[in-house]
Amino acid sequence: MKRSLHLLVSVAVLFVVSGYSVAQSSPSVEFNAANAGPRAVEDLTSESVPRDYAFAWQNLSQALYENRPGLLDAYFTGFAKSSLEQRIKQQAQSGLHVRYTDHGHKLNVLFYSPNGDLMQIEDDAQLEMQILDGGKVIQSQPLHVRYMVLMTPGADRWMVRDLESTPASRSGE
Amino acid sequence: MRTVITWLLCSLAAAMPAAAAELHAPKDIAAGTDFAITVNGDSHGTFYLIGPATAEKRSVENGSEISVPGTDTEKAGNYQAILCSDECVSAEFYVHAAEADRLSLLVHPSRVPVATTNAISAVAIALDRFHNIVFSHAQVDFSVNSSNGSSASHAQPTNRGIAWIRLTSAAKASSTKISAAVGETTETRVVEQVASEACNLHIKSYWEANHLVVQTDPVRDCSGNNVPDGTVVSFTKTDSSGKTTVDAPIKKGIAKAEMPVVGHARISVASGVVLGNELNVGGAR
Amino acid sequence: MKWTLAIAIFAATIVLVIISWFQSGALERRRISSADTPDEAVRLLLSRVKSHNWDAAYAQLANSSYVDKDNFIHTFSGDDGSLRTYASLENYDVWPLHSNGRVATVRTKLHYSTAVGPLDDVRDMQVEHEGDAWKVLWSTAALPKLAPQVIPVNYLRWDVINRGAADDWGVQNVDSPRVRIVSMNAVQRPDRIVIVGEIVNEDTVPAYVDVNATLLHADGTAITQENSFDKISHILLPKQVSPYRVDFPGYRLTQIKSVRMDAKSMLVPASADPVIEVTGQKLQKDALGKMVLSGNLVNESGAIVNIPHVLASYYDSNGKVIWVSDGYVDQALLPQTPVSFAVDLPDDIASQAHTYHVVVNSFVNQAS
Repeated sequence: MKRSLHLLVSVAVLFVVSGYSVAQSSPSVEFNAANAGPRAVEDLTSESVPRDYAFAWQNLSQALYENRPGLLDAYFTGFAKSSLEQRIKQQAQSGLHVRYTDHGHKLNVLFYSPNGDLMQIEDDAQLEMQILDGGKVIQSQPLHVRYMVLMTPGADRWMVRDLESTPASRSGE
Repeated sequence: MRTVITWLLCSLAAAMPAAAAELHAPKDIAAGTDFAITVNGDSHGTFYLIGPATAEKRSVENGSEISVPGTDTEKAGNYQAILCSDECVSAEFYVHAAEADRLSLLVHPSRVPVATTNAISAVAIALDRFHNIVFSHAQVDFSVNSSNGSSASHAQPTNRGIAWIRLTSAAKASSTKISAAVGETTETRVVEQVASEACNLHIKSYWEANHLVVQTDPVRDCSGNNVPDGTVVSFTKTDSSGKTTVDAPIKKGIAKAEMPVVGHARISVASGVVLGNELNVGGAR
Repeated sequence: MKWTLAIAIFAATIVLVIISWFQSGALERRRISSADTPDEAVRLLLSRVKSHNWDAAYAQLANSSYVDKDNFIHTFSGDDGSLRTYASLENYDVWPLHSNGRVATVRTKLHYSTAVGPLDDVRDMQVEHEGDAWKVLWSTAALPKLAPQVIPVNYLRWDVINRGAADDWGVQNVDSPRVRIVSMNAVQRPDRIVIVGEIVNEDTVPAYVDVNATLLHADGTAITQENSFDKISHILLPKQVSPYRVDFPGYRLTQIKSVRMDAKSMLVPASADPVIEVTGQKLQKDALGKMVLSGNLVNESGAIVNIPHVLASYYDSNGKVIWVSDGYVDQALLPQTPVSFAVDLPDDIASQAHTYHVVVNSFVNQAS
């Protein structure tokens, strides 16, 4: 009886830990707005943009691993959301999923529109990617990706409108 | 002896693994174009293509090429092509945006007071037909056409896909179309240039059936534009019975209020934070 | 044993019935049912009004044959969708002013609870001695009647068509109206900090506005945030100015370093109608000796204004806003019919007030 209980607890812990390993805490994000123009980035915006971008990546990682496009609703919009939804749909159809381990992002603001409704950011991201077919890992590699990101303000947060990797990246997405 | 050696050689050959396949993708791939990935070695197995908007898996037979339709690479970005049989091999390649064919144009504000420096901003983002941002240089032609016939234009190169300009609003109230064009595509937005604060706000009064009617002259801004109907004008009258205020909207260019007057009265007018003249009026008739 | 329980329950029931009888005011009613004094007569009338016993209350009047019963009832229950129709008489204070044995004057303070909070109404009632009892002499002042007529209403109206969900991201939407806070003053009161000031709609379209204020520490971190709630005129027509007031109960100015103001605006459909004239504005003491800004409201349009809300801003000799007070009028504004209002202000503020400005919010029930 005691042994069965130990086994049950171990399985439960493993289950929870495996869940947590995907639903990671939000990644670290450094934010540099020194080069922003033509509009200077406000203090509050300097706090909200990296915070919301971190949440976006946290949701993206979970969405790509669990093949749940609904997780993109909170922080993605426009072209970025529709592209990622299409990818997740195809992943689900093919039985694939992708696990990202996020080692952080360095954001550099390149453009902040005069009206404050658009921000173009260069993201230097350190990631690890595993591509899984069912339960089998078919590809595993570290990535250093440079993204060009467009962010626009929503009702109460900044949202990712476009997320495009650039040739400067050292590995694929 | 010869038979033994032949048998040994054949066994050795069978035991050696087959040479691993290699994948090679073209160096320059534009979004939405068909291309092929060349395969050196055994191409039999399962082919995976993972990209920004793609996650494809299919079986491939032996051959020197794996074709990839343009529909699989419409989204610009980095891609992974993986071929798995006994083991997996992969190749990375980059798909760049096609030619600039679309624009997202953001123009703010939709209403602006006349004669305001750098009041209007226009930001254009050059996109290809698959909504990828075109990072290579493109020329965006901005043009401004006012309803009173005046026009202007300015060409601006994109920087990382974005071009922007600032404009000063005209002196005359009007509807202005601001356009941005790249290639064959043009996007247009409309900005209403509206009268700014009332200028030289002036009132006069006259008697009508024992009531004092206070009326403004046609309310205009400092550029001579009529302040729009519905703008509130506050009339304040002070006499021996106390203070009376009326917030009257402008109708057909003027604002009017009727006030009973007891004895001597002082009447003033304001619109927003702009004050007008004062009248001193005698007793009721 | 079994009888003990039954007796205990019976006794508890009797006690509870007696308690409820006392609580319903029955003892009070029995005591004053004979209305031996002027204030007892008024209390009897008001207790019947409170319990909506209109027939008995009407019978309490000395001059009921001259008083229209419906008008009498509407005095307390309201009509025309006014604030009084959403109110109930909770309590009342009564005290005699003077009496000569035959005629007396009694002052009453009626406490209503309404949909927008408590409302007080002070009335002086005439009472006369008839036979062996005192009865209330109800005022028969004729209500002004409006002659049947056509009142053209041709003020501007704005409707808004926003961008749809299917529209592309870059497609222009109608911008929110430009509003600006033109003044802000933090005032220390005995039990709170009060932020007062004015906000103007600088745009050419109507705006729904709201003001938030955040108290900040020296290091910029927020202490607390409050909203103006209804102490602002939320709908501002172009170039219209409204006062605002934000209260922070329990805080002192010595606790804070600065205040961050945030004005939010939204484009909404609106009408420039009704236009309300505010006449006879005066700072004076009311019947209870409190300082009030009083005057009359005149509805210059043809539609009934069901619930008027008066906002007053007070300025010192330098033109700085030093106080904002507000009050709801519990009577509807019929067209062209003056209705009095009074909003109170603290005595110390009244002594500093050099001038004032009144703004009227109006709520019109479309169904009425």
